[in-house]
Amino acid sequence: MALKFHFTPADTPRGDETNPHAKATTEVADTVQALREAFGPAVQDHLTYAGEHTVYIAAEQIVAVCRYLKEDLGYSYLVDLGGVDRFVEDGRFEVYYNLVNVAGRQRIRLKVRVEEDAATVPSVTGIFKAADWNERECFDMLGITFAGHPDLRRMYMPEDFAYYPQRKEFPLLGIPGSLPLPPQTPEGSLTMDPYAAAHGQKPVKSYEEPRSSK
Amino acid sequence: MDPNSGYLTTTVDAVVNWARSNSLMPMPMGLACCAIEMMAFAGPKYDVARFGSEAMRFSPRQADLMIVAGWCSYKMAHAIRRVWDQMADPKWCIAMGACASSGGMHRCYGVVQGIDNFLPVDVYIPGCPPRPDAVIHALMDIQEKIRNQYSIKQDYAFGPQRASPKDTAPLMVTSSGIQQAEPDVLRDHSVEQP
Repeated sequence: MALKFHFTPADTPRGDETNPHAKATTEVADTVQALREAFGPAVQDHLTYAGEHTVYIAAEQIVAVCRYLKEDLGYSYLVDLGGVDRFVEDGRFEVYYNLVNVAGRQRIRLKVRVEEDAATVPSVTGIFKAADWNERECFDMLGITFAGHPDLRRMYMPEDFAYYPQRKEFPLLGIPGSLPLPPQTPEGSLTMDPYAAAHGQKPVKSYEEPRSSK
Repeated sequence: MDPNSGYLTTTVDAVVNWARSNSLMPMPMGLACCAIEMMAFAGPKYDVARFGSEAMRFSPRQADLMIVAGWCSYKMAHAIRRVWDQMADPKWCIAMGACASSGGMHRCYGVVQGIDNFLPVDVYIPGCPPRPDAVIHALMDIQEKIRNQYSIKQDYAFGPQRASPKDTAPLMVTSSGIQQAEPDVLRDHSVEQP
């Protein structure tokens, strides 16, 4: 699918930001170092912004990294998991994982980037059960599939919906005819026009409905 | 029977409409924050019991007024329509708030841009959310609508115009037999008229 869009100018961190509200819990340089030693090239990048550490992980290693963080370093709590459509040519989709080590009072953010034509990330539901619905939501909204997810169905949109509405190329008001409205009478057909009333179609009062054929 | 004992003639429509308009049982289709205002509308402060509508019926079979309160998604629309179809006639519908009336601030792919795309709405209430007073006003509008409806629609609203019936006086059974009532038979003759 060829996309036509304007790139958002890159907003690279200057590196000298100081966040006055940053807490010591986000200073996890030792965790990042441990990840680098344990996984080597699978730790693709490391970013520090406003006192918070973000680690970019290769998609195929995300399960191993999560298991290591949970079992060896004590990051037992998956706070959040979600997807981002960066809308760029390389590494369009991004999945982020916010992890907390409750006992050690530490927080870390992991990110995984995947291409548009191979938007598949291994599921971490085997490690964090809380990831189940978040991954379903991410699949529903962005179309990122999670390999190994036990129940990868749509979360919000109807099962037969054919699009991924949070992708940037999806129009804000939707695609006419993709989401049917109920029939105007009990035995009528579905209303495919989302603006039926604006186009002059008014649902009839029930006492004006045509007689039932049964 | 004493013809001066006083009695009243009326139409069936008048009695039926009076009964219907003063005992509307709302089906609370609370979808969002408007539902909170709808609870206040039914609660003791705004006290819709004054209008006979305090009995919220959570079964569509017992309800005759659907108040759609809040934004309605495309998925929910099918459930609402089914509940509406399960309600027995006669039934009325209020679109409460900007979202139910037009989609409101939810101008996006997942929210129906006005429930009148699939429901026959009788009264729209603006507001985000509307005050309970506004909901009471909408209920009074529905009552007004009910009081002005006819059961024999062919005579009044539809079909060819017919000649008005001749002026007739109702028949009365009196001690001297059956006779037509005098025009002022309902007047209390013991009171001096001005």
